[in-house]
Amino acid sequence: MGQLTKSHLIEGGIWSLIFVVFFSYSFQFNQPIEIYKFGATGWPRVILLLLLLVTAGNFYHQYRYGSAVQKGRVGIAETEDTEADYSNPATLLKVVSVLLTPFVFAYLLKPVGMYSGAPVFIALIIYLFGERRWKWILGITLLIYAILLGLFVVVLNAPLPQGNMSPFYDISGFILKMNTNLQNLW
Amino acid sequence: MIMVEKFLAGSAALFGDPITIAIFVFGVIGGMLFGAIPGVSMLTLAAILLPFTADLDPAQGVMLFAVIYCTGTYGGAITAILFNIPGAPENAPTAFDGYPMTRQGKSGKAVGAAVLCSAIGGVASALVMRAATEPLANWAIRNIGPPEIFALVFFGLAVASSVGGRTIWKGWMSVLLGLLIATIGQDPVGGINRYNFGYTDLAAGIAFVPAILGFFAVSEIFVQAEKKATGQYDAPKVGMSFPSVLELWAHKFAVVRSILVGFFCGILPGIGATLAAFMGYGEAVRWSKNKEEFGKGKLEGVISSETANNAATGAAMIPLLALGLPGGALTAMMVAVFQMHDLEPGPLVFYNSPELIWIVFAAMFYANLSILFIGLLETKTILYLLKIPFQFLAPLILLLATIGAYISRGLVLDVMVMFGAGIIGFLLRRTGYSIPGIVLGLILGKIGEQNFAQGMQMVHYDPVTYFSRPICTILIIAGALTLAAGIYRAFSTPK
Repeated sequence: MGQLTKSHLIEGGIWSLIFVVFFSYSFQFNQPIEIYKFGATGWPRVILLLLLLVTAGNFYHQYRYGSAVQKGRVGIAETEDTEADYSNPATLLKVVSVLLTPFVFAYLLKPVGMYSGAPVFIALIIYLFGERRWKWILGITLLIYAILLGLFVVVLNAPLPQGNMSPFYDISGFILKMNTNLQNLW
Repeated sequence: MIMVEKFLAGSAALFGDPITIAIFVFGVIGGMLFGAIPGVSMLTLAAILLPFTADLDPAQGVMLFAVIYCTGTYGGAITAILFNIPGAPENAPTAFDGYPMTRQGKSGKAVGAAVLCSAIGGVASALVMRAATEPLANWAIRNIGPPEIFALVFFGLAVASSVGGRTIWKGWMSVLLGLLIATIGQDPVGGINRYNFGYTDLAAGIAFVPAILGFFAVSEIFVQAEKKATGQYDAPKVGMSFPSVLELWAHKFAVVRSILVGFFCGILPGIGATLAAFMGYGEAVRWSKNKEEFGKGKLEGVISSETANNAATGAAMIPLLALGLPGGALTAMMVAVFQMHDLEPGPLVFYNSPELIWIVFAAMFYANLSILFIGLLETKTILYLLKIPFQFLAPLILLLATIGAYISRGLVLDVMVMFGAGIIGFLLRRTGYSIPGIVLGLILGKIGEQNFAQGMQMVHYDPVTYFSRPICTILIIAGALTLAAGIYRAFSTPK
């Protein structure tokens, strides 16, 4: 097994899976283009074959040297090499929560909208980042929400998602009506 | 002499009208602000402002975007240095050394160098642009075609793969992943849908802005979240000392080299400032006697990248104004501004609207000077951003990034793509892949494929003909040597 670890095998497996999925899917659009000899699949297939080749090279490197930084590489901060310790399940839960919360927020943007969803999202992220003083959570949430409304709604009139579910749609409508009234003042 | 008179006339038109002055000031401050706020970028501001330019005079509209381009390119360096979140892809190489400098308490030096070098690169570029737009455009028409652009993309990607990843293999894999993502959407020759997996929204491909925000901003937030959760978080140190004149003078050759590299990349249609920054950084590494110091907080890294990307801003206006070909996302929006006013950028603009050209030239010159003065004044204030606890900065960045991703096309899918890119970026960073490499592959993928296809059609599928074109030959050989050096190191360098 050389210097290979379980994570190296998973990493190699994921790259191979990417190759298999994308290469197989390329047959779905394998149509000739009259004016271009290589068609729509030529370019992506060359990239995929190079990727497979380089994945094999990477696997070989990991077999010989493990995860060590190659000598002479530039643009790598040494501080990024430290491995995180996930032996405590609570740590894993915290990180997974931070990773998934934005996805849930994005998924809810259509029905709930930005105006109703943003304050909850802000407060949740502050909490997940370890802040437990509720006054600070509330205060910073209001401050960031005020920046959002002031800059993007009042100053720039940016079109943000309003939601399509009651009462969220009505809340967005109320905020936008207030903004229109404010704009009419000047 | 005529040129000086035209420049003075452009300056008089710029500063002779209070509304034009107000638009100029708005562009300078807006570009710097949106460039410097982590999570949004100058592209967000430009996308929001685009509809409003219909009410402006054409010269004012184009000038506003040109000014945002100059100051936004500089602004993005601040977030790259302070938070490891490049405000735009062209600032990605700045983070390689800028962020380690912040970790070492030298943020003032890094930001100070970025201010000065952005201004030098931008002013030099604006001056050359003013003097040489027409001759350079003529030269480019005669000598630069799809084979040359493909060759430059090849060279640029070869350089990008040599920096950033933990090993050369991971550098190459990062670039190839970016190229693969760029194939999603319609193919540039026949318009055939590729890899849309049944989603009609994916037919237009993966939009740059959400992907870039995800890979850079969101993934960095996730990295910091992990550090917080595992108790490894270490707040960056605020350093107020600026670089001394002697320190900057020691890098004079790096500045000149980066101006040349930036200008050359800038004048090529479709290439723009991003590749300029990577090439500027790559050349600095190539010519340095202490290569191993790069990526660990070397001032020359910041200087080279920031000089090159701002040197490309003025040059990028040359293909836009003289040929009607945009060099990047923001210059593409400028084409839209022209079209809103029933104008077409191209050689005729010089004859039909010369006043527009000279107002834009003058505005870009003064915008770059403003970077120096406003930049130096605001730098110390900006450095205090580092004192804000990260748990309060993180939701602000995520929210702004959400707005930035949503606004450009009004699609929630783009927000999902951004967070998806954030998670992928987080996992790839943990395993030593190069995020800037992925982003450069993503940006240059379509350009590379399109120019390769056109080039192949031009030479009747005979690749040897590429080598009968001198610029193309030089670039392909340079790219091949860079790859060969990487292959040699991959098999011969002990760990």
